[in-house]
Amino acid sequence: MATDNATGGGFGEVSRLRGIAFEYLSLGASVAGLVALGVLLVYVAIDAFDLANASPEWLLTYFLTLVVPFLGFCLYSAGDPAITRRALGALGGGLVAVAALFTAIEAFVVDIPRLSWQLAYLFVVVAPVTGYLTYVGSRGRVGAVGFGLLGRLVGGVAVGLAVGTLFLVFDELVWFLAYTLGVLPAAGLYAYGRWRDADRAASAALPVGLVGVVAAVFLRGVIATYPSDLIIYLWTLAVPIAAVGALVVAGRGSRTAAAAAGGVPLAVATATGFLAGGLGVPGPTALIVLAVTGVPTAVYVHRVIDGGEGVVGLGLPLLIAAGVIAGALVVEAWGVPAPDPWLDVSYVTEAPSRTPEEAGLYPAIVGSVIIIALVAVLSFVLGVGTSIFLEEYTAGSGLVGSLTRLLQVNIANLAAIPSVVYGLLGLGLFANLLGLGFGTAVTASLTLSLLILPITIISAQEAIRSVPDDLRRGSDAMGATRWQTTKNVVLPEAFPGILTGTILALGRAIGETAPLIMIGAATTVFSAPSSLFNRFSAMPMQIYAWAGFPQAEFRYGVVAAGVITLLIILIGMNGTAILLRNRAERGN
Amino acid sequence: MSNTPTSDSLITTDVQTESTDRSAVSGATAVAARDLNVYYGDEQAIDDVSIEIPEKRVTALIGPSGCGKSTFLRCINRMNDMIDVCRVEGDVEFGGKNVYDDDVDPVALRRKIGMVFQKPNPFPKSIRDNVAYGLEIQGFDGDVDARVEESLKGAALWDEVKDQLDSSGLDLSGGQQQRLCIARAIAPDPEVILMDEPTSALDPVAASKIEDLIDDLAEEYTVIIVTHNMQQAARISDRTAVFLTGGRLVEYDDTTKIFEDPEEQRVEDYITGKFG
Repeated sequence: MATDNATGGGFGEVSRLRGIAFEYLSLGASVAGLVALGVLLVYVAIDAFDLANASPEWLLTYFLTLVVPFLGFCLYSAGDPAITRRALGALGGGLVAVAALFTAIEAFVVDIPRLSWQLAYLFVVVAPVTGYLTYVGSRGRVGAVGFGLLGRLVGGVAVGLAVGTLFLVFDELVWFLAYTLGVLPAAGLYAYGRWRDADRAASAALPVGLVGVVAAVFLRGVIATYPSDLIIYLWTLAVPIAAVGALVVAGRGSRTAAAAAGGVPLAVATATGFLAGGLGVPGPTALIVLAVTGVPTAVYVHRVIDGGEGVVGLGLPLLIAAGVIAGALVVEAWGVPAPDPWLDVSYVTEAPSRTPEEAGLYPAIVGSVIIIALVAVLSFVLGVGTSIFLEEYTAGSGLVGSLTRLLQVNIANLAAIPSVVYGLLGLGLFANLLGLGFGTAVTASLTLSLLILPITIISAQEAIRSVPDDLRRGSDAMGATRWQTTKNVVLPEAFPGILTGTILALGRAIGETAPLIMIGAATTVFSAPSSLFNRFSAMPMQIYAWAGFPQAEFRYGVVAAGVITLLIILIGMNGTAILLRNRAERGN
Repeated sequence: MSNTPTSDSLITTDVQTESTDRSAVSGATAVAARDLNVYYGDEQAIDDVSIEIPEKRVTALIGPSGCGKSTFLRCINRMNDMIDVCRVEGDVEFGGKNVYDDDVDPVALRRKIGMVFQKPNPFPKSIRDNVAYGLEIQGFDGDVDARVEESLKGAALWDEVKDQLDSSGLDLSGGQQQRLCIARAIAPDPEVILMDEPTSALDPVAASKIEDLIDDLAEEYTVIIVTHNMQQAARISDRTAVFLTGGRLVEYDDTTKIFEDPEEQRVEDYITGKFG
């Protein structure tokens, strides 16, 4: 090549040694961090799922019934022989390499605690290969359909559970009235206005909705009889979701398909909701979960079948379910020793206990979910509001300008204040002065919102500042008021960045313990909070308390299960926010 | 972009073919400045400028960098209000009213005056929403789609984008983006269109399309354009104002006169490239 000749030839050479050294040092630093985190997570997972007691036969069974079909699905979706060869090579070569290396280290260097070579193979080779193939597979049409369906199933269940959890605390009767008097008429007016091109109907929607909501709050105490919870959920959540789903399908396909996509899940959800009471499952929650899961799934399935591409992918959830059942049957028939995971259904549905086998995290999970929901709303509204004011409305000079700069400096400093201090503030301000109660969910939410507010504000400011001035001036020159420019141009453009900052800040809030201790949150409560003014516990508090228990089972198994639960909820929450953000970015 | 013209004959031909026919008719005044002084802090950007800009004509403002021509343009729709240190003295009359009077709402003023910037700045929205932006913020309650089509046709962009009105305005090429910005500016049907070097970020082909468009726009609108390109000023404008360093308006006359036989020696030096 010409450039090679030039550097090798008459122009001499320029040393790149320092640059190369820097490159590899930074690579090493990032890899070291990841490896440390990976090792920690592997051990936590081994403890939480009791994998140390998993027999090789058990591992082999599930590898064959669950992992291999899944990888096969991904490879089929990718449809690339080269990737298939590479994956098989990595799995086979990895098996030999890990087994040899592991045995060698155990024999000659040091005994590796609570890890067998099969587990090492699972974590070092199978997990990354699965991750990679999932990524590759999801880019094929069949894989995209499969993961799309799986995502709707899992996401629907998660959202349904979260909504059900929130209704434990928030008064569903007010919601029932607000929905019937405010939300429904407003939505109806708006839809009518758009449909008939009647702008007055559409613009009347907001005032009508607000009046309805205010009326609901006043009427809550006046009206004495209400329908049962199940009817309320059916009327206010399941029916509208089904209607929206049916409308989406109707926009694309036939009326029959629309009725089926909305109606069948609704019927199943309703029937299950009414029957669930007899089985000991809370009926309203079952209704919400099934409706939230079923309708989007039905709409998605209809869309895929209508499009005719990658229909095979719809089998992925069946493949996984079949793998789990087949594995369980084989293990049962073979009689091989199976692990007894700490993290199981009873762990997330039952209250804490003195015996490790019966200990559960349910009240703490509910507490955390409620707090996070409140903190997300509060800090988002306050943070975005403040940053818009600071960036778009304040003048750069004069008295207001000086005040703004003072505010800026203070906000930057507030971000660096230890969380214990915020705990003290919450204790003094919210618990004592405002009388919101010690260790109540509302005090905790307000305190944590204050704690992350500086981070939210600063990142939102950055996002708003990164919107090019050209766009603002373009909008101003069209005769837009400052509010119109902010609302129509600045905020849509800054929204993804604002969300990113909020996600990071929320991640910090969900893991905070110190301020919760300061405001007097309980380490352990035995029932889920039933109002915002109840005593509550949060996941990190409960995990911290268990870590101090004398029994070793608590300190290893139960704590590990708690950590995994916390991580799953955190990842679920961040995943939702990231999906939202990506959608907003695509919208541009 | 062409270089500064060195031969007078080139300019002269262009002026004769393009715009003599319009400049012969004398029209009413659209915008007028009287004893206008503008300061950025202590620095004077415009020095005692008085000018009357005729209706439904193209008026070009030319001059070297930093001579205050863009500042003058931004005085007309009070975009200078956004700059904290900027201070304006004197009158700018638009529609028989001083726009710096206390009872003038700058936002309402800007709704009557469209503006096109140097760098194309379409919003990160669909083409349709870009054009409809002015209508939306002004609460226009007529047929928005018809207006969008009319404006895109007015900006000579309709045929290129009519099948992709819902795709983003940012997906267009630079020249198309600038025409989209022009469509956006004319959609609310303003009386005056201000253009701040609208072709300086574009390639010659795209620039010549915009020039043709400006010629058409003058049928309906008063166009005031700042440009660095003297050939462009000679080609498209009916009247030309020459600003020289210090924010002084040195000469203002019919374009033909300015380019063929300027009164001031400094203007001739500037136009022929001996100074600037």
